[in-house]
Amino acid sequence: MSKYLFIQSQDPFTEQRTRHQFELIGQLHDAGHDVSVLLVQNGVTPARRGALGEGLDRLLDGGVPVYADAFSLAQRELEEDDLKDRVGLSDLHIIIDAMLARGKVIWH
Amino acid sequence: MSHDRILTFAFMEPPFESERTITFFRLLDAALDRDVGVRVFAYEGAVALAFAHQQPHGNAVHGRDSGEEAHPLTKDWIQALQEKAQARRIGFEWINCGLCVDERGVNDVIDGCGRGGPPDLWRYASEARNTLTIGTR
Repeated sequence: MSKYLFIQSQDPFTEQRTRHQFELIGQLHDAGHDVSVLLVQNGVTPARRGALGEGLDRLLDGGVPVYADAFSLAQRELEEDDLKDRVGLSDLHIIIDAMLARGKVIWH
Repeated sequence: MSHDRILTFAFMEPPFESERTITFFRLLDAALDRDVGVRVFAYEGAVALAFAHQQPHGNAVHGRDSGEEAHPLTKDWIQALQEKAQARRIGFEWINCGLCVDERGVNDVIDGCGRGGPPDLWRYASEARNTLTIGTR
């Protein structure tokens, strides 16, 4: 089993490729790998409560840990209360910790 | 410094174009917060991040002079990270891809940033605890 952290900077509303990115994340999770996601930049937008983001919702429903970068949220005037359930807050130090743990850190 | 405390980052985004550049610099700052040595291999447009002749400018439309506009320059952010690393006694290295530099004519870079090529990225990645590549897409 491998440990993955995906840095999701792209959003499904403007980037078609995110559908495949979310599918890859879900497939790795389903295969038994330790997978988590950090949403950054416009990647945080599908985490808004009520946002139509099928790919991200499927990951959340499947139990994939998903975090949103607090700085990216603040830039967009989003707060923790605006987020869907099960989306946690984080900062970029989670990336450094994952790299130090020799996880596979992948930028989307 | 133990190689277990060194991280390598490969980055290709030019200055002043994308939010990725902001996130990238925040990431380097977060690494220094963890007292982790940083090695950057800048290629393609990212070689201009350290260009010494970047100039701040005013904003005539908004009636602000250069000081009021406080236009951020990436060369200053690199210098700030160099100073932070030095204060914490950890390494901060930066190599620009020489071919990419020549293509763009941005040879004059700030102190502490060097010139190299893909073998340096290989060395950086081989010696580091881990490597993150941030593509433009």
